[in-house]
Amino acid sequence: MSGVLRGQKLRFLTKREIETIHNATLEILRTVGIKVFSDKILKIFTEAGAETNSESRIVKIPEYLIKEALKKAPKKFILYGRNPKYNIIVDNKRIYFGLGGTPTPYFLDLESGEFRRPTKKDVAEVTRLGDALENISFIMTIAGAYDVPYEVQYLHEYEAIFNNTEKPIVYPAPGAEIAQYALSMASAVAGGEDELREKPFICLYSEPPPPLMMAETDENLIEYANHGVPIALGPTSMAGSTGPVTLAGAAVVSNAQSLAALTLIQTVNPSNPVFYACWVAATDPRTGRHAYGSPEFAFSTSVINSQMARFYELPCFGFAGCPDSNFPDAQAGAEAMMMTLMNTLSGVNLMHDCGYVAGGDAGSMEMAVICNEICGIALKIAKGIEVNDKTLALDVIREVGPGGHFLSHKHTLKFLESGEIYIPKLFNRISKEAWIKAGKKQICEVARDVVRKILKEHSPEPLSPDVQQKLREIIKNAERKKITR
Amino acid sequence: MHFYLFLKIKTVKGRGGVNLSENELLNQVAEAVLSFDENKVIEAVRIALKNGVNPIDIIEKGLTKGLRTVGDKFETGEFFLMHMVAAAEITKKAIDKILQPELSKSKTQRKALGKVVIGTVAGDIHDIGKNIVAAMLLSAGFEVYDLGKDVPAEEFVKKVREVDADVVALSALLSTTLPMQRVVIEALESSGLREKVKVIVGGAPVTKEWAEEIGADGYAENAIEAVNVLKRLLNLT
Repeated sequence: MSGVLRGQKLRFLTKREIETIHNATLEILRTVGIKVFSDKILKIFTEAGAETNSESRIVKIPEYLIKEALKKAPKKFILYGRNPKYNIIVDNKRIYFGLGGTPTPYFLDLESGEFRRPTKKDVAEVTRLGDALENISFIMTIAGAYDVPYEVQYLHEYEAIFNNTEKPIVYPAPGAEIAQYALSMASAVAGGEDELREKPFICLYSEPPPPLMMAETDENLIEYANHGVPIALGPTSMAGSTGPVTLAGAAVVSNAQSLAALTLIQTVNPSNPVFYACWVAATDPRTGRHAYGSPEFAFSTSVINSQMARFYELPCFGFAGCPDSNFPDAQAGAEAMMMTLMNTLSGVNLMHDCGYVAGGDAGSMEMAVICNEICGIALKIAKGIEVNDKTLALDVIREVGPGGHFLSHKHTLKFLESGEIYIPKLFNRISKEAWIKAGKKQICEVARDVVRKILKEHSPEPLSPDVQQKLREIIKNAERKKITR
Repeated sequence: MHFYLFLKIKTVKGRGGVNLSENELLNQVAEAVLSFDENKVIEAVRIALKNGVNPIDIIEKGLTKGLRTVGDKFETGEFFLMHMVAAAEITKKAIDKILQPELSKSKTQRKALGKVVIGTVAGDIHDIGKNIVAAMLLSAGFEVYDLGKDVPAEEFVKKVREVDADVVALSALLSTTLPMQRVVIEALESSGLREKVKVIVGGAPVTKEWAEEIGADGYAENAIEAVNVLKRLLNLT
């Protein structure tokens, strides 16, 4: 289930404030610039007309280049699923939720409740889980393949993901080489490079490092742009450590990263689909960690992000889920709801991280199921109401009259059937007695049962044996080439 | 008469134990650290030096005392990590700019808890966590040589040799750069330096198992733990 935000999107910043942030960003890009650790990227910026210094590696980008890039970037496009029923239509209205994010170094084991290193098998399983959850529309991950050679970790993850979902996939591929392998794997699934370009079922996820840097691994932007595959930008500026502690200033840093990456992408391939983002995280002053569940992160990834995106007329990438809490508990629920609602009501197009816990350090299948419910609730709110003759139901009110009841009226039955009232599948509304009788289960326990059931029963359409073999071959080649120890 | 006596006391160096005015000067240095103002700290250090206070004492009884106070206030929640880093950076500047030259002149050695070479490994340009650890180590009384980020293994080896380090601390944030921690350990081995140092590793993807696998001596999940682990490894607790 995806949805549309029917009402007005959240608006905190005034038009003037948005323009101020934009102009401040232009000034930073023009006068301070981006430090680029890649010769390839440096060359592209130089040829495009930016002011580059090969010694300091600083690229200063003039306003006209950014303006051109903003003009070229498409406002609408489609992110395809292996199964077209899962196609994501990227426009200025539709909203979608995604499973997980980049690979997590830890995984909350479903049975033991202990944190452990995730494996390729976990990646396959969580992908299957995401494929089954009805409010998850795109797949990233809440695990990671740490039991394979690190040189090809991402490729094994791609293999596990490709085999276990028919939904669109958003995933990282750090560095030009890994990107090339990932693209050839995706082409194998799509039926060819041209097919992949025409109907991309993958989207690159990229996090250029703040403040104001581009790493050598960001050469993957060039590879994906060369193949015409969409790219989602995730430039987080951590207020107080990688950006000014004041959120507006940190937003300038994040925005600068986004616009610089956008300029690079549009230079390589004009009108390459891109998801814009402007994210400001709080640096927790006591732990130094990125505070995912902070009000600052909720605010910036929803309001600042979407208002800037609307100013640029670009689709944007944001967050649902992602609590700081280490466990799917009350804190996790609160944090996930805060993120999801704020992002939903801001009309953020793609919202990821459902199923993350521990501030992104760990994935949890129970949390993914809980998030699925939270997303359903958010979608229901986003749907709003229709005010018309049928919904005003004046004739029904007249019929029932003062003191009557609406329980059995045809109108009630009709609209119940069409989803007028949201019925949670996971969260319970049963009475205390019923709950005690049913075993006093906490919601994460119930979620665990749901996971077990899904893993037992759900499997997506498998890839053809041909394609499965091709994927294995690509990985074998990569291993042969890259594993030198 | 009083005025003259007062002046005399101020400029007289104590013999043996620390006299009151020297205490005042050292307190001024410690308090300057708490202002988080680089100029104030440098000024206080200069005044202390000018009045004959031993540079070693300025470091240990002035600057480090100030750092320890910042650390105490961090524990109680009054100050934050940002304060720790600010205090550490200012202190380091005062030592590098003014006090170390004095020590080199008189060929005196600092008595730090240990010498730590720290950096983010090659290919990785993330350094916030590493910066915080470096600050915590400095506050705890270690001599810290921060090589920055994207540091090749050879540079770690070179610095260890140059300063006769006791510890090598390696940070990596990405699973793709994590293996570089192993590379540094191997480089230390082939240079014959592995036995001379303790190696600790850290960063989001680092686990106890990884640290054991690559033969690191210790690992920490956060900056505060890092200090404790190091103290344990060096038998300083």
